Amino acid sequence: MNPVHFTSGMDEHAVVITRVADRQWHAVEDDLTVGRGDVSHRPDGRTFLSIDAWHGAVFDQLADAMLADLPKPLYTVVDETDLDLTSQWERAGFRTRRREWEYLVPTDPQVTGLGSALPPSDVRIVAVGEAQEGPLRTLDRVIRDEVEAAVGWQEMPAEVLPLPAGVTVLDPSKYAVAAQSDGYVGLLRVAPVIRQPRIGLIAVRSDQHRRGIARALLAHVLGSLHRCGIETASAEVNESNRAAMALFEGVGARRAGSNLELVLR
Amino acid sequence: MARKAGGIEVEGTVVECLRNATFKVELENGHKVLAHISGKIRKNYIKILPYDRVLVELSPYDLTRGRILYRYR
Repeated sequence: MNPVHFTSGMDEHAVVITRVADRQWHAVEDDLTVGRGDVSHRPDGRTFLSIDAWHGAVFDQLADAMLADLPKPLYTVVDETDLDLTSQWERAGFRTRRREWEYLVPTDPQVTGLGSALPPSDVRIVAVGEAQEGPLRTLDRVIRDEVEAAVGWQEMPAEVLPLPAGVTVLDPSKYAVAAQSDGYVGLLRVAPVIRQPRIGLIAVRSDQHRRGIARALLAHVLGSLHRCGIETASAEVNESNRAAMALFEGVGARRAGSNLELVLR
Repeated sequence: MARKAGGIEVEGTVVECLRNATFKVELENGHKVLAHISGKIRKNYIKILPYDRVLVELSPYDLTRGRILYRYR
């Protein structure tokens, strides 16, 4: 690869921007790396950028170099409270595409009010780690097709891990499921993050909506976490997903922050 | 191309989550620094919480500032 160099003055020193690999840019000043740019590709095909720089001027130079090389649209994620970083991306032409609220979800049934939330009589909840892989993958595929036919997966909470083609269930042991006699109808994925597990996905087959299945899945998983001594879990919800926000806020979850997804078209 | 040196990388423990996406991190030598999270951590939705062990790159311009590069499990 022939790296492309950009040079411009910053104070008395020159900063050189170099594409050091297919997905990496470095800003170097006096043999010291003072900024880095990175590109990653999401499973949904979108390209996300990140830039780390100690000065706004270096950020701008890295952004110029990366945007000159990469096809649009390009995306990035910022913490909404990080005003400096957000304004740096806006200077580069990025605009807010969507907001994702971060929720802290209590697990205590006395707080959530989920102590009596049972599934419908024809549905049973299968605990995390006990779901069968085949039916889980079948349900995952059905739900993904439904999402793609409706709002589209880009509007769902982010999936960021690169997976082999066609693989969407990375680790079946992280799922609780709602089961009927002929298969699974709902799922909840929970990541066992240290101290604060993360609810990564709750989804119910469209023909089973409005039966209290998502609430029953949530009650089961939160109750299990509470019995393990864990007081809160986290979850991210797209602010356009009113049903999910109502589900979490209805069990006493509180907003702890927000991330903005920015796009340059 | 050989990688140029960046800032000094040191391990520490997150002691406080502050406003503006900033964290107070106590380094192994007892010093405390204010650190943002790196873009890679943000892109991958990795949460940083108090008591997390983290790898911090110190700013070459201000050793009281840093960037969290990695959260240890």
